Amino acid sequence: MDPLVFILDALVFVGVFMLLALSLNLEFGYTGLGNFGKVAFFMVGAYIYAIAIQFGLPFYLSLVLCALVASILGALVSLPALRLREDYLAITTIAFGEIVRIIFKAEQSIAGGVWGISIPSIFRDLNLSIRMSVVANLLLVYFVVIVVFIVLQLLTNSPYGRVLRAIREDDEAVSVLGKNVIYYKVQVFMIGSAVAGLSGGLYAQYLRFIEPNMFLPLVTFFVWIMLILGGSGNNKGALVGALLVEFISRGSRILKDYVALPVDAHNVQYIMFGVLIILIIMYRPDGLVREKPLKADWIERKITHGNS
Amino acid sequence: MTEQIIINSLVTASLYLLAATGLTLTFGLSKFPNFAYAEFVTLGAFLGLFVLRNPDGNILFALPIAFVGVGLISVLSYSLVFKNLVARSTNLIYLMISSIALGYVIRHGIAEIWGWRTQSYQQVWTIYRFGDLRITTLWILMIAAALLTGIVLHLFLTRSRLGKAIRAIANNPDLASITGINKQKIIILTWFFGAGLAGMAGVFRAAATRVVPMLGWDILLPMFAVTILGGIGNFYGLILASLILGFAENFGVVYLLRAGLSTEYRMAIAFLILIILLIFRPKGLAGGK
Repeated sequence: MDPLVFILDALVFVGVFMLLALSLNLEFGYTGLGNFGKVAFFMVGAYIYAIAIQFGLPFYLSLVLCALVASILGALVSLPALRLREDYLAITTIAFGEIVRIIFKAEQSIAGGVWGISIPSIFRDLNLSIRMSVVANLLLVYFVVIVVFIVLQLLTNSPYGRVLRAIREDDEAVSVLGKNVIYYKVQVFMIGSAVAGLSGGLYAQYLRFIEPNMFLPLVTFFVWIMLILGGSGNNKGALVGALLVEFISRGSRILKDYVALPVDAHNVQYIMFGVLIILIIMYRPDGLVREKPLKADWIERKITHGNS
Repeated sequence: MTEQIIINSLVTASLYLLAATGLTLTFGLSKFPNFAYAEFVTLGAFLGLFVLRNPDGNILFALPIAFVGVGLISVLSYSLVFKNLVARSTNLIYLMISSIALGYVIRHGIAEIWGWRTQSYQQVWTIYRFGDLRITTLWILMIAAALLTGIVLHLFLTRSRLGKAIRAIANNPDLASITGINKQKIIILTWFFGAGLAGMAGVFRAAATRVVPMLGWDILLPMFAVTILGGIGNFYGLILASLILGFAENFGVVYLLRAGLSTEYRMAIAFLILIILLIFRPKGLAGGK
C-alpha cells in the first residue's frame, strides 16, 4: 500500500475521532456528564447520512440532517436520563447504544441489516486518484473539525462555558443560583450528540460502507481513552488524545500485519490501553494536557489584595 | 409449550442470579458498578474450558475451579486498583471507566491465551422428557446451583456475624466502622465470593451455548438490569428481578416471533425494562420512589 495514502487515511480517522472526543469533552470534560453511549449518536449519524444520500439529498444537507437527528435523539435520551445518578446514566446510555445497534441489525429494510449498506462517494464524479480522493476527504473532515473546534472553544470560554464547569463541580450550587441545570445539561447533550452525528456522517462518507458491527460499545470506550489520555476539560487535550490513540492503534495493526510477533498485537494493544487508562486515572487523572484554571490570576490578586 | 417456556425462564433466571449476585453486593459495598463483571463471567467460562479439555474433565470440577480462579482475580483487581481508587474517593465516572478498562485487559488476555475462535465444551447432556417437556442435566444443575446460592446466602446474610456486617456496611458504612466492623476484610470476602459465583455462571453459560471472549459482555446488560431492578445491594430483590427478567425474555421471544419481529430483540427486552425502570423507579422494585 502507498505509505502516503496510509498516513493520510489514518489522519482522516483521526479527524473523525477528534470530533467524537470533542463532543465527549463538552459533555464530560466541561459539564461532568458521563455519556457511555457516544457510539449510538455516531451510528445514527452514519446511518442517517447513508439513507439521506440514497434519497438523493446533497451531501451538505445530509450532514446537517445527521447533526439534527442525532441532537434530537440526544434530547430525547437525556431528558429522562439526566435526572438519574451518574452510574445509572452510564448504564442507560450503554443500553441505549446497544438497542440502536440491535434495531439497525435486525431491520433489513432500514439499511441492509447485518449486510450493511454502501454509500456513493461525493467525490466520485471528479474521477480522482486514490491518493487525491483521500486528500479530498481529509480536507472535508478537517474543515468540519476546525469549525467545530472554534465553535466549542468560543462556547466553553464564554459565560455559558463557565456555567457548565460550575455544573460539573456542584450542580446544586448552580441551581441555587437560579440556573436551570437540567436545561443546560439537555442543551449540552444536544450539542454533543450533534457533533457525534456529524462525525458519523463523515465516517460513512469516507468509508462508503457501514454495517452494525462497526458500532460496538468499543468505539465509545476508545473515545474515553482519547479524552482521558489527552486530558478532559480541555479541547486541545481531546485533539491530542485522538491523534495519539489512533496512531498507536494503527501502529499495532502494522506490527500485526508485517512483523512476526509471538503475541497478537491486537490483543496486546487493548491490554496496553486498559492498563494505561487505569494508570492515568490512578496517577495523572488530568491527562497530558491539563485544564487551565479560569482567570486564576485575577481572582488571586483580588484575594491577596483583600487580605493585605 | 407453556411449561417448557416456564422451565427455560427458570434456567435464564438462575443464570442471571448467579452472574449478578456479586455485581449487586459489590455495587452496594464499594458504591460503583463493576463493568469487569462481564469478563469475570467470561473468565469462568474459559477456566471451565481448560478443565473440560482434560480427558477426565467434568463440569463438577470445572465449577469450583472457575469459582476460585475468578474469585482470586477479582480480589487481585480490588487490591491493586479499586482499593486505592475508592480510598482516594475518585470520581464515580473514573471508577466505572477503570472497571471497563480492567474488563478489556481481562478479555484480551483471555483472547491471547485461548484465541478468538468459537469453541465449545463438547459435553453431552442427558435429556429427560416428561411428555412435551424437555429438561437436561445441565438445566437441573443450573437451577440447583441458583437455589443453593439463594439458600446459603440467605442463611449467611441473616444468621452469621459476617453476613450481618455486610448488610450493615452497605446500609451505613460510617456507623458500621464505628461499631468495630472490619470493613476491608468484608469487602475482600464479597469481591471473592461474588466474582466466584459469576465465574460459575460463566461455566453454565458456556456449557449451554459456546465459548467466545465476548460471552460475558453479551449478558452484562441483563446483569445490570436485574441489579437495578432488584435494588442495588439487595440480594432478595435480585432473586425476584432475575425471575422477572427470565420470564420476560423467554415469553417475550414467543411474542416477538408471533409479531414477526427478529429474535435479535430478545436482548432489547432486558434493555427496555432497564431503561423504563431507571426512569420511573430508579431505586428498584423494592425501593421507595
